Amino acid sequence: MSESVYNLLSKIIDLYAKSREKVKYGWIQKNISKINEWKLMAYAYSRSYIGLVGGFLVLITVLLAILGPYVSWEEYWDYRAVLEPDLYLRPPCLSFTGNCPLLGTDEWGRDILAMILYGMRISFVISLLVVVLGVPLGIILGLMAGYKGGIIDEILMRITDMFIAFPGLILSIAFATVLPERIRGLLDTHPALRDFLLGLFALRPQEYSQLAALLSVFSALIIVWWPGYARIVRGSVLSVKEQTFIEAARSLGLSTWRILLKHLLPNIISPILVMATFDLATATLLAASLSFLGLGPQDPVPELGFMISKAGLYFPERSWWIVIADGTVLLLIALGWNLLGDALRDVFDPRTRRAIEVKARAKSLKEGKK
Amino acid sequence: MKLDKLLEVRNLDVRFYTYAGVVQAVSNVSFDVYEGEIIALVGETGCGKTVTTRAITRLIDPPGRVVSGSALFKRNEKDVVDLLKISDDELRNIRGNEIAYVFQDPSSALNPLYTAGHHIVETITSHRNVSKKAASSEAIRLLREVLIPHPEARIKNYPHELSGGMRQRVVIATAIANHPKLLIADEPTTNLDVTVQAQILDLIKELQKKYGMSVILITHNLGVVAEVADRVYIMYAGKVVEYSDVYTIYEKPLHPYTKSLLNAVPNVLKKIERLEYIPGTVPNLINPPSGCRFHPRCPFFMKGLCDVKEPKLVEVEKGHYVACWLHSKG
Amino acid sequence: MTFIPTIVGVILITYIIAYLIPTDPVRAWVGGEKLLNPEALERVRKKYKFDAPWYEQFTFLTYMLFTGQLDDPIKRVKVIQELSFRFPITFELAIFGFIFSALIGIPLGIISALRKDTIIDFFVRFFAFFGSSMPSFVLYYFLILALFVMAKTTYLAGVPRPSTTCYAYISSLPSSFPIIGHLLFYVGQIPLFGSMMCGEWNIVWETAKRFYLPGLALGLLNGGFIARIVRNSLLDALSSDYVLFAKARGLPKRWVWNHAFKNALVPLVTVLGLQFGGLLSGAVIAETVFNIPGMGRFMYDSIIRLNFPAIIAGTFLFALVYVTVNLIVDILYALIDPRIRY
Repeated sequence: MSESVYNLLSKIIDLYAKSREKVKYGWIQKNISKINEWKLMAYAYSRSYIGLVGGFLVLITVLLAILGPYVSWEEYWDYRAVLEPDLYLRPPCLSFTGNCPLLGTDEWGRDILAMILYGMRISFVISLLVVVLGVPLGIILGLMAGYKGGIIDEILMRITDMFIAFPGLILSIAFATVLPERIRGLLDTHPALRDFLLGLFALRPQEYSQLAALLSVFSALIIVWWPGYARIVRGSVLSVKEQTFIEAARSLGLSTWRILLKHLLPNIISPILVMATFDLATATLLAASLSFLGLGPQDPVPELGFMISKAGLYFPERSWWIVIADGTVLLLIALGWNLLGDALRDVFDPRTRRAIEVKARAKSLKEGKK
Repeated sequence: MKLDKLLEVRNLDVRFYTYAGVVQAVSNVSFDVYEGEIIALVGETGCGKTVTTRAITRLIDPPGRVVSGSALFKRNEKDVVDLLKISDDELRNIRGNEIAYVFQDPSSALNPLYTAGHHIVETITSHRNVSKKAASSEAIRLLREVLIPHPEARIKNYPHELSGGMRQRVVIATAIANHPKLLIADEPTTNLDVTVQAQILDLIKELQKKYGMSVILITHNLGVVAEVADRVYIMYAGKVVEYSDVYTIYEKPLHPYTKSLLNAVPNVLKKIERLEYIPGTVPNLINPPSGCRFHPRCPFFMKGLCDVKEPKLVEVEKGHYVACWLHSKG
Repeated sequence: MTFIPTIVGVILITYIIAYLIPTDPVRAWVGGEKLLNPEALERVRKKYKFDAPWYEQFTFLTYMLFTGQLDDPIKRVKVIQELSFRFPITFELAIFGFIFSALIGIPLGIISALRKDTIIDFFVRFFAFFGSSMPSFVLYYFLILALFVMAKTTYLAGVPRPSTTCYAYISSLPSSFPIIGHLLFYVGQIPLFGSMMCGEWNIVWETAKRFYLPGLALGLLNGGFIARIVRNSLLDALSSDYVLFAKARGLPKRWVWNHAFKNALVPLVTVLGLQFGGLLSGAVIAETVFNIPGMGRFMYDSIIRLNFPAIIAGTFLFALVYVTVNLIVDILYALIDPRIRY
């Protein structure tokens, strides 16, 4: 199993190297040690069970998130139980016949499994947006604070401290309460943006006020997210700033941004990547928690946390399957990211690669002797 | 065992079972320590000197293991024990009491959360039946003996409040606290300033004379060896390659490795035109070279012999042993 | 003294949030869109200085807050009263959560350090992953199902409180004993400690029955993480030179162990302290699911209803808690580690 994963990753690395070679002749020669490091990392990854399981879960998550809404056999806005009352809160059954959903139904009569396919898209997109937008924001601010220093640094650090002092969930609740109206206004004036976002979350135009709720959850999370990264990046910048090679770069006349991008960033990119992976898990759970509390989208949007909170009303006899199903899905999504992050942390640790090299050398010496 | 022999180590074999393979850190090493003498274990980094000395009191942790060998230690006139085979309790009695260690880095040997005094006091009270108060005054006396000024104040200091030299003195004080018969000093001066090095060495010499203890001094610094040692063992790649008294080693080195070592250091006894270096690097001990382990770097390499058969230690003259095919029949 | 700007900043953030609200909060307080009485509206507006410029509002509300006069517009009681009712309850929840996290995490961490790379170590790692990946509310529902619905070992309403005689006794303490009396008075406000001080052990037992389920849940969620921290710092300490030196000196096993454990304690104290601080900020979800009337739920309700005075007061309390917890952690740190003393 690990061999095939390693072979696959190795091929991808080779393809990338070849394409760079086409653009600029001699690239492979120049970067051969870097390519080697990548291959060692791929090897380390393919050997870690945690990484493989995590990667598998993440792959499934992404696939289902993208394809789910197209593959789902029911629409989420259908209040089925009105027409077919025996679909109301039906426990799961395993007979696979037409009217018996595998994971049961909710109080609208909707097939839970079909709803999960929608829900995964929503959860995944939110967590992705939070991390993809929040992390760079934090990085840029951290870079600025660390490098420029002085007043900008002071102000930014005070702001960061304030945000970190505030209990995260409370802050998110506050923003999630307050923002939906504003966002609704924003969406009204930018229909193109609204339609794009509706498509991203696989919602109908009728749900656009729910979209506003979703986006306010997401904005709340982003506001809470960036301070952490800003602080870390600033710390790294400060510790690297005093090193001589920065001074050397400066004396050569390199501009500030150049120095930051080319010399600072590559050093801190690995721990940031690891943290971002873990954060995808945290963001997924946090978004679900906010929805659970009622701050996210409401009916009919099938957000996973929201479905669980509705199920709470009928818990446990009449809705336990909903909690298990949605809960397990959330658990597996978060687990996938967490396992992947843990594996990446080991993979990026240079000691792992050195250990692999030592072993390979010892092995080849032994075989050479024979 | 001869009457004034304190420690007799025979055929010591220590291996490390690592992810990369089995490291043969120490192979078939034997040496003796007599009462009242200072012997030096000399060699490059990684040659097994530290592992050897830690192995004899079973301080090797997994993945390392003492595979075979014996370490006969004379506790008193009637009592000779094999350190590698006695019970854990008996061994604990000997450690810190009859055999003491001084480690290379005093900053990491001392626990940053405990005072200097605490280290000494616990070493005393764990082996002798004295009150904490008595142990405290003894600690002050010991600090005075290792030439730390204002010892009454110093016992309350934490390691980070002391300089490197003082820390090492504290470590030495804990080592001699129970009047050990054998002191094992593992590169005690390597991490210190040059001026402090000389002081610490003098201190060790003084204490040795005063208490009549034996000392195993590990070092890669031949200047230190000349200063302090009575007899010298030269180690390479986990094996002893030559040993004799200090004068013989300096004036009549026989093993090519010993000769290279001496040539690589400015030697005030001889006038050398040029410092030589030893080409090549320390071998990989997962797959050590066949035959004589030095043969890949040896200027006198004899093909067909040195890479096939391993030379044994032979007595070339009284008290002088070498393991080299240049000096024994192959 | 860097925490003062932090506290000020935190309150400032609250105001910023307030300005994002397009609706008029006063309407919400007075009774929603159906206007009762324009006069009432005006009165409320004047009372909270809504017609004044924002800086006047700010100083007014802060002043009222500090002098304990701030009124909760919805509940018609002093905000201070509400806080002094809710905060001790959150404190109790935090204590139980903390105890369970430590009880589960520390022993598991020690075992997995001593049995490194065995099945137990693997299991603990697994447990840590589950703890950080499990959605909290799902676990809560399941524990409720198992231990409340099926096994009926707890109950999910109300908070046990000591008797009125007990409260009278506690209130008398400041006059009986000078300084300690005041301290004990505040400690006694927390129902658990109050009942302990009066010897009302049945109340203590009832409190345990009420809170052990959320405590256990929090312990299961956080325990794995604590275990990993303990394991890693313990392994670092055990493989250090000073431990080797301790062994080389023939110290008894227990003393060697103390050397290692004391060093491993340092990062542990930080983590546990921050955890407790986090719990004090109120686990909103736990309080919702387990029906605990604490600070978390209070903040949630206040925010939803745009109850400004309540939000400000609560925010201020949180900032205070945060600063205090950090201070205590720093003090503990300095106690354990002599390198960090000023």
